[in-house]
Amino acid sequence: MNQPFLDVKKISKIFHPGREVKVQALVDISLTFDRGEFVVISGPSGSGKTTLLNIMGGLDSPTAGDVFLDGERITGVEEKFLSRLRRDHIGFVFQAYNLIPVLTARENIEYVMQLQGRSRSECDRRTREVAEKLAIAELLDKLPGEMSGGQQQRVAVARAVASRPKLILADEPTANLDSKSAEGLMDMMQSLNQDERITIIFSSHDPLVIGKAKHSILLKDGQVTADEFPG
Amino acid sequence: MFRTICRIAWASLVRRSSRSVLVVVMISMSLWGLLFMEGIYDGMTEQMISNAIRSDSGQLSLFAAGFREDPGLNRLILQDGQITDCLAGDRRVKSFVRRLRQDGLAATAHYSRNVMIYGLDLATEQRHGRLDTYLTQGEYSFGAKKRGAIIGARLAEKLKVKIGRKLIVSAQNSEHEVSAVALTITGIVRTNNMALDESAVFIDMGKARELFMTPEGVTQVSVILQAEKDIPGVQNTLRRDFPTLEILSWDELYPALMQSRVLMKGFNLVMSLLIFGVAGLGIFGVMLVSVLERLREFGIMLAIGTSFDQVRGIIFTESFILGFSGFVGGSLLGGATLLYFYRHGLDLTIFGEGLEEFGMDVITYAVIRAQYFTTAFAAVMLATFVSVLFPLRLLKKANPIEAINKA
Repeated sequence: MNQPFLDVKKISKIFHPGREVKVQALVDISLTFDRGEFVVISGPSGSGKTTLLNIMGGLDSPTAGDVFLDGERITGVEEKFLSRLRRDHIGFVFQAYNLIPVLTARENIEYVMQLQGRSRSECDRRTREVAEKLAIAELLDKLPGEMSGGQQQRVAVARAVASRPKLILADEPTANLDSKSAEGLMDMMQSLNQDERITIIFSSHDPLVIGKAKHSILLKDGQVTADEFPG
Repeated sequence: MFRTICRIAWASLVRRSSRSVLVVVMISMSLWGLLFMEGIYDGMTEQMISNAIRSDSGQLSLFAAGFREDPGLNRLILQDGQITDCLAGDRRVKSFVRRLRQDGLAATAHYSRNVMIYGLDLATEQRHGRLDTYLTQGEYSFGAKKRGAIIGARLAEKLKVKIGRKLIVSAQNSEHEVSAVALTITGIVRTNNMALDESAVFIDMGKARELFMTPEGVTQVSVILQAEKDIPGVQNTLRRDFPTLEILSWDELYPALMQSRVLMKGFNLVMSLLIFGVAGLGIFGVMLVSVLERLREFGIMLAIGTSFDQVRGIIFTESFILGFSGFVGGSLLGGATLLYFYRHGLDLTIFGEGLEEFGMDVITYAVIRAQYFTTAFAAVMLATFVSVLFPLRLLKKANPIEAINKA
């Protein structure tokens, strides 16, 4: 039997917002994902979508359970390892775009590639390539503050894609966008998934967006209530 | 990677120019104040020491044994010919003068004061300690017949005499008799050496020999060297060659001045600590806020794969650029100010009376030392780097998501 690309095993997460207050965000979750999948994790607010994505991306650690990426355990490991893992293998798209405000769109897109030590010409070529694909070529010299929300989110996607990660995790990428921009962004992400064979997992509670996924997971109160392959 | 770190640090500084300029100006102003104070205070002390050396002690002074405890014409340096040969042949010696001193009385028709009568050669004194530069009234001369006298400014005030007035100077001669001579005041000097300004009467060496009936010998030989570092060496040579004489350095003759120098160094150190303490707190505050307000930005960097070491590198690079720019700005400003006051002097006439009480010059010439800049550089860098340690600690403790969400 083939080993899954991403294997989430019995993940639980408990937060302690106060000294004697405990919040169980995830309860014993187990999921598997294959390479090249286009996955949506949906559910109401507070269902644990963001927490699950953060743990799968090595941004947060689970209270119990393990996550394996390409057969390699990424939970309970050193921060330096996680830092390299995020740099080389995972792209992130955040709800609030989270571009680096002092860098232009071009510098934001090139940033991770520069961390990877790619050459100047390679960074330049790849930036132009993804900028064209995401229709942001004319925005490359603008600072984030000079762009609309939809434009910033496209730059954020370009940043996530440019470094050729194995996996892109997008946390409610369309939440701050109007429906037209949201649909456009999802179409672009879908085409990246098909063209570049990147596994994309995103969270959303927008039915329009959810409908585009090939693999759909529904969370409620930190538990998986449905794991389906609608398309 | 270093280039990327530098590029991001530079972009952050340039694109937040107001904050960057504020920090640089703050560091520059602190440094400017510090350099100015150091240079002026050191200038004051060095001028006091220089005045004492030029007008009296030299860097080394030779006396007959016991003269300083009990000055008198029975304690003369009689081997001054040998001393002259020895000093003239020593390359470390820049100049020397011979003086004949006796305590006496100066009187006008209405007033009289105890004085120190110095027999000396004006031309040699001019080359030796530039005595002529202290002249405030009259001329640097004893007149054609050598019957003139140059007296200290405070003595002139107390005797209420002016240039051209008569002065009767009397003293005990070597025969233990009282001798007197009538002189005309040809010049008044203000050396800011309190003892001289209050009681010195400078007369021609030949006239002094007549007055004191001492055809040979002197009471003091004052020596100025090419370099201050040679003082112990020359002192040892002279002690070896003239064991019966007392050979004293300027700080042995004027211990209070040496104490002033030490005191001023301590004062400068305390002031430096205070200024940099206050400036350091300012820098700390600005850097702290600047890192805290960017916690989200650093969180994003960490989230997308920047290592903590790289983020630390960015923050340190920014701090270094800010600190170094502040140092360059402050050094240029402080250096230019010190250079101006080194050339033109700082006129402190409004504090004139107070300064003269302490033997300080009214016009203070600044001192410029390389050490000011090296210590300032170390202090600026220390304050700058220490100021980012706390925010870095905060960042280290938080994971990327916490850092993004905290902001």
